[in-house]
Amino acid sequence: MTRGRMWRLLACIGIAGFVLLPLGQAIVLSFTTTLATEAVPQGSIGLHNYANILRSPELRASIGNSIIYVLLNVAFCLIAGLPAAYGLARFTFLGDRHFLMFLLAFRVTPPVVLSLPIFILFARSGLVNSPIGIALVHCVFNLPIAIWILESFIAAIPRSFDEMAFVDGHSGLSFFFRFLIPAIAPGIAVAAFFCFIFSWVEVVFARILTVTAGKPITQAITSLFTFRTDWGLVMAMTVFSLIPGVLMIFLVRNQIARGFVIRT
Amino acid sequence: MKPHSNAAWALMLPAAAVMVFVAVLPLLAVLNYSFHDIFSLDKVFWVGTDWYEMIVATPRFWASLGRSALFSTLAISVQIPLGIAIALMLRKVGPRGASLMLMCLAIPLVVPTNMIAGLWLALLRPEGLGGQALSALHLTLDYKFTALHTWALILIVDTWHWLGLVVVLAYAGLSSIQPAYYQAAAVDSATRWAVFRWIELPQISGALWIVLLLRLVDSFMIYTEVMAINAGGPNDATTFLSLELGEDIKAYSYGTSAARAMVDFIFVLTLVWVFVKLRQSGEQTQGGPP
Repeated sequence: MTRGRMWRLLACIGIAGFVLLPLGQAIVLSFTTTLATEAVPQGSIGLHNYANILRSPELRASIGNSIIYVLLNVAFCLIAGLPAAYGLARFTFLGDRHFLMFLLAFRVTPPVVLSLPIFILFARSGLVNSPIGIALVHCVFNLPIAIWILESFIAAIPRSFDEMAFVDGHSGLSFFFRFLIPAIAPGIAVAAFFCFIFSWVEVVFARILTVTAGKPITQAITSLFTFRTDWGLVMAMTVFSLIPGVLMIFLVRNQIARGFVIRT
Repeated sequence: MKPHSNAAWALMLPAAAVMVFVAVLPLLAVLNYSFHDIFSLDKVFWVGTDWYEMIVATPRFWASLGRSALFSTLAISVQIPLGIAIALMLRKVGPRGASLMLMCLAIPLVVPTNMIAGLWLALLRPEGLGGQALSALHLTLDYKFTALHTWALILIVDTWHWLGLVVVLAYAGLSSIQPAYYQAAAVDSATRWAVFRWIELPQISGALWIVLLLRLVDSFMIYTEVMAINAGGPNDATTFLSLELGEDIKAYSYGTSAARAMVDFIFVLTLVWVFVKLRQSGEQTQGGPP
């Protein structure tokens, strides 16, 4: 083993240690009983915290709520993002740069800035407490990202590919579903990954739009903090909330590092 | 060249409609509130630019702005070079090791934002692994009452959260460099720095611009982690722009919070504009990648 390799190995161990340390602590705590009950003494190791999640209807429901609005958001971003990405990749048009600048401006707008009027607007439209409301509002930051990613994948396909399909008599929708979507499948996976992640971890909008019902997993965790916080249960819920994201990372691990270039 | 067709706007319509509903309308509403004093939905008075004048006149606002700018500068100057260095190192580790490290570094990105701080606070509890390690080393991390420690903890937590994004995107840029470039550099016996400056940096600049912009804006308006760690304390030492705005919103002072939101939005927009202009002029002088 050369000296260079040894240093690199040490650096990798150091970085992995830094990243995994808080997660490791969370996993250990999630199996530890931190708030003693009559049946289970404090400090005992086991699956009690996870059993408590399954026993609580609020916690169970919150997992379902989060999954529903995140999937809806991914669907909205892909449906609205694909045509826009195709148009931007294939044509120049009056104001195209301004449209990209407009997307960028709203991608970087902090959620707190918009939270108050969004609540009022959505309350009037009957979108409070509904997964559709959260899925829509997460488009503020996810739709621009979906468009950038899809645009760069479509731009990588030569235009002769489209022309061939049109010459074969395919038009409009048939071209979209039978040619374009299969050709940019990795791009769709990457776009879906980023939309999923950013929607899953977002808390500001998800909190203000769920007043009485439809609480997401993030809110369920916050509500577990009391003056006697059951850290074991909090960490079990947190570990639970990581599972979909970690699965997604594993699924797109070969594509994740591609095609995330901003255009202005 | 791409063909010119204004009919392509039809393809933008679904996306534009969504953005108008969830972003443009709310922003116009904020602008409207910011010129009014709102007691209740039917007691609304026009106050002109009173709120703006009041905000600009408070020293606390300028102090928060300074702290936000300082935090952004610190976060970027730590995270971007560190991320690039890690990506450069991973290029030499081999594809399987690199893939494993990238997956590991991406995990913090999928942690719900409100639990990022929670994970670290659990680690640093006296009975936690971090708390025990610190006491074994006779160190104290007094993030509740010592401002320097609070800042350090927030910076560490933010770096933990976002380092993965920098590494993943820098690594992607580096992977796309043709081996011929390196061979040419070896023939010219270029220094390591020259290889980085003239071959590697131009290749990753496209990906770096986006990560730099996202980090710039997100660290400038950081809220959830700071709120959870010490709620702006000790003694306002970590009260950033977003925390001041949060206080106004929680107090239901619609007018002031709308004006403050507009001021923050204008700061963010200015940052983006300067950033885009810098990038465009950089492309023209260097002929960088599109």
